[in-house]
Amino acid sequence: MLLTLDILTTAAILFIVSIGLLAIFGVLKIINFAHGAWLTVGAYCAVVTAKLGLNPWLALPLAFLVGAVLGGIAEHFIIRPLYRRPLDAILATWGLGIVVGQLVTLGLGRDVQLTPNLYAGTVAFLGVDYSAYRLVALGIALVIGTMFALAIERTRLGLSARAVIMNETLARSLGIDTGRVRLVVFMIGAGLAALAGVLLTPLTSVDPNMGVAWLIGAFMLVMVADASYLALAAACLVFGAAQVLISTFVSPILGSIAIAVLAALVLRISPKGFSRA
Amino acid sequence: MLETAPVARRAVPAPGRRPRLARTAPFVVAGLTALALWIAPLVLDTFAVNVLTRSMIYAVPAVTVDLLWGFAGILTFGQAAFFGVGAYAAAMILNAYGATPLGIAAALATAIAAPALLGLVVGWLSFYHRSTPLYASVISLVVPIVVVQLIYAGGEWTGSSSGLVGFDVLPFEIEGYFRLAALVLVAVTLAAWILVRSDAGRALVALRDNEARCAYLGLNPRRLQILLTAGLAAVAGFAGFLFANASGVVAPENAGFLFGTELVIWVALGGRGTLLGPVLGTIAIDYLAANLSGDLPFLWQLLLGTAFVAIIILLPGGLADLVGRLWRVLPFGRSGPSAPALAAREDGTEPTATDTSILKVQGLAKAYGSLTVLEAIDLEIRAGELVSLVGPNGAGKTTLMRCLSDGTEPFTGSIAVGGTAITGLTPNRIVGLGVGRKFQVASVFESLSVADCLRLARASHDGLNPTGRAATLGLPQAALDVLRMTGLDRRLPEPARLLSHGQKQALELAMVVALEPRLILLDEPTAGLTKAERTTIGRVLKDLTANGRIAAVLVEHDLDFVREISSRIVVLHQGRLVLDGTVEAVVGSELVRTIYSGGAHG
Amino acid sequence: MAEAMTDATAAAARVAPAGAALALDNVASGYGAVSIVKGVSLSVAPGEIVALLGKNGMGKTTLLKTILGMVALRGGGITIDGQALGTLSPAKLVALGVGYAPQEQPLFQDLSIRDNLRLAVPSDRHLPAALERLFGHFPFLKDRLAQRAGTLSGGEQKMLILGRALMLRPRLLLIDEISEGVQPSMVERLRKVLLAERDGGLSMLVVEQHVAFALGLADRYAVLKLGEIVDSGSTKAPDAQARVIDHLAV
Repeated sequence: MLLTLDILTTAAILFIVSIGLLAIFGVLKIINFAHGAWLTVGAYCAVVTAKLGLNPWLALPLAFLVGAVLGGIAEHFIIRPLYRRPLDAILATWGLGIVVGQLVTLGLGRDVQLTPNLYAGTVAFLGVDYSAYRLVALGIALVIGTMFALAIERTRLGLSARAVIMNETLARSLGIDTGRVRLVVFMIGAGLAALAGVLLTPLTSVDPNMGVAWLIGAFMLVMVADASYLALAAACLVFGAAQVLISTFVSPILGSIAIAVLAALVLRISPKGFSRA
Repeated sequence: MLETAPVARRAVPAPGRRPRLARTAPFVVAGLTALALWIAPLVLDTFAVNVLTRSMIYAVPAVTVDLLWGFAGILTFGQAAFFGVGAYAAAMILNAYGATPLGIAAALATAIAAPALLGLVVGWLSFYHRSTPLYASVISLVVPIVVVQLIYAGGEWTGSSSGLVGFDVLPFEIEGYFRLAALVLVAVTLAAWILVRSDAGRALVALRDNEARCAYLGLNPRRLQILLTAGLAAVAGFAGFLFANASGVVAPENAGFLFGTELVIWVALGGRGTLLGPVLGTIAIDYLAANLSGDLPFLWQLLLGTAFVAIIILLPGGLADLVGRLWRVLPFGRSGPSAPALAAREDGTEPTATDTSILKVQGLAKAYGSLTVLEAIDLEIRAGELVSLVGPNGAGKTTLMRCLSDGTEPFTGSIAVGGTAITGLTPNRIVGLGVGRKFQVASVFESLSVADCLRLARASHDGLNPTGRAATLGLPQAALDVLRMTGLDRRLPEPARLLSHGQKQALELAMVVALEPRLILLDEPTAGLTKAERTTIGRVLKDLTANGRIAAVLVEHDLDFVREISSRIVVLHQGRLVLDGTVEAVVGSELVRTIYSGGAHG
Repeated sequence: MAEAMTDATAAAARVAPAGAALALDNVASGYGAVSIVKGVSLSVAPGEIVALLGKNGMGKTTLLKTILGMVALRGGGITIDGQALGTLSPAKLVALGVGYAPQEQPLFQDLSIRDNLRLAVPSDRHLPAALERLFGHFPFLKDRLAQRAGTLSGGEQKMLILGRALMLRPRLLLIDEISEGVQPSMVERLRKVLLAERDGGLSMLVVEQHVAFALGLADRYAVLKLGEIVDSGSTKAPDAQARVIDHLAV
């Protein structure tokens, strides 16, 4: 039971952390290595909210807004010139991540910050005591996933984004402003990443480099999911389960590299990853 | 084998123009640099000697990153892992056996062999038929992460998160390590310099420019990439060995992903693809970092990050590119391009009797999902034939060409070249069977010179010189004819990207002919060409097939052209072969007239 | 001989009638180092259909894409309703009243028919009126809006493509091989729809390889060969069909 809960909540957290990266990779075909920096920025929004004495949940909208604004600026000045050089875009966004990390350090110090837990304590759930927050995170992941699905499937922006993914030339010839779609999607992706940063604060310590630790896992999951949020959910479940099971029964150290290694092998065998199914 | 042909030779800009000075200059510069660095510890303070020793050791893996990324186009974060494996191998063995001669030898051998083996595995994972550059970068990210976790898991063997310290090292003072690092760096840079300027070095650039073309010239891109990865892993491992000895401490960071990104940053700022840029970039940035990060740690990182982003966007060639541009403005900075002399080569293929079957296609069918593209195709091509494949858009012509030249395309039925079934064979192996393919959009190596493009076309027959440039370029007479007729023989030293569209098409044709194929496949060889160029290409094709050695299959929309040159015409319509006959039979056919006027729809 | 004819027809067309819906003056374009369209002059009067014929690879589609701003103009000028086109985005052209029925990958195969149509209107509130117009032309689409576009037959897809281009009431329509792969009865239906639209004042440039369809539809024709117009005239001329087929067949 405990194991099942661990797997589900781990998958939920992985999904929350990766969804912003997926949105950007899907539409822009750009791997945003500044993703870790947006996570950090979001976590520091939680720190700032706490310092101001506000309700910790207020950090969520604040982080989304800050992430989206910064993302918009980044798309305009850094991503746009590099659409034709995708490998260079990886490097430039990595550099942007360094810059953001150092700006956070200069502004708020390099020490580990403590934030109030969004939802403390444990609850008895089907006979086991379990971290209440991890269950809340599971719920939040479902909410984010549902909202993301609705936005993609039901809104006009989602439709335009799918059109750009499927056939950008046709989308453009129909009069869709593909540049604007990219900008908005990048802003949403960065906003979601910052949101995820807030949601990570009860689970991890907050410091200027915290995002990097999550970047590679999220990146590998997105590579396997290849622009499909359903495939991402499946990948989070499968690799989350692998991580939990290997950590529990074999070794925590092997568990920590399970996602990266398994994802690399999946891609070697099937370059389209989970999206083919 | 090599028969000198005065006629061909005359058409070439003065052979052997490369002065002796240009060939010896790198050695002289390297020698002087080594000498200067030998003396340097006498005038530098201890701090500078210590820091610069480390910087110069770091510059060695930076050179390997530059070879992989700047030349071969493989963006890698993984060199840090090989460096770390080398460093740990050295530290662990020296820790266990001490700095005895045997211990040192074992440490050195393992520090080179272990990363090389790991490099083979990583290369095998990263490169396969149809793998993407992005996938190789992904793998290169995973490798350091895995290595670091293994170090953590190593317990006492690896010192886990605190690393290893206090092991025996080589018996050198700090000046000694400085000089050793300097000599190794100069030697590695010089070797890399010679390699990238040799004929074999051109193959690296060719891989970056156009991997598909490499495969269709019969080279095995996958093997080259894997060997390169393994070889450069060994070099990085050797640098790790030096690092472990010089610093006396190894830590998980030395193998980590962050160090991998730092190497890339140094190379990018210095100037990818220039060797000297990355070397100087690494030394300058690491030295500055050591001096500044004490006082302004975050500001320094901030400036470095900002500079990195700006360079990637605005100056992808890095600072070396800027310096290079200034240099070329100066009158003495321009060196004249040189090219090898052309020579005719005896036709290596055994003369095939006309009428020998070269290609046999039986019951070929191919579908994309539920969409059938080709169906029940039977076709036989004999030596000396020039067969045109015509039909409206979507008839399946290009798909058929693809199936003929790439056995990994999923199709049913059988295709045999000279009696050998090609099912499952990668393009380079089919080239080995004697099939040359010319693509619709001219597929040449844009950043290589015309001569180098042709040299690579001969590489599968003649090999490539890894230490220098061969003075002559032997080509089959037919390829020389193509060059002469199109005036390309006078443009050998020029980069292919400066050629006109028609000349690029002609160059690609010459490259394919230089392979001495038995069967030559051409996809719309005249698209976008002027009338004169079309006539030339037509004459070349007729001459090629006239001697009965080669057969040609060509996809063509220009039916006037088809009528002029073909010995036979095959008509495809909606994936089926509807007509196969002589020019007269097909041209006069009512069926063809209906197909082309749109009446045979649905 | 061919060149002389080119000059003559080009010169004739250059004196474009005032108020032409579309006027091309010595237009040149191409991709990379390849020049595809080499000095094409052509005009379409309001309420006129001009058929552009030619074999594959002669530059027909490239010419349409040049008008639409999807391939860069390298020389010459393009005016639509007397307005010179500089670097207009396709979005601006749609607003100007230019419709396009493309040939290559013309539909999002995996999206529903409704979503395909939604993507063609500037905002969802334009959709009901547009759909009304679409069903006027092709009523069978009414019950099939939820179906994936890829499940339509080839002929039905062509009708969807044409209906999509017509539903925004364009003033100028560029059509790329709408009859390709369509059975004769459906081709006739397409022809009737287009003629009705022409009588309503719509101007069209129709790229075709199906000679009978093109000549039965258009008022004038032009033949494109290797990026140049080698023949043009009225489709009503008695020798029009024979001349065109001579250019197209082997």
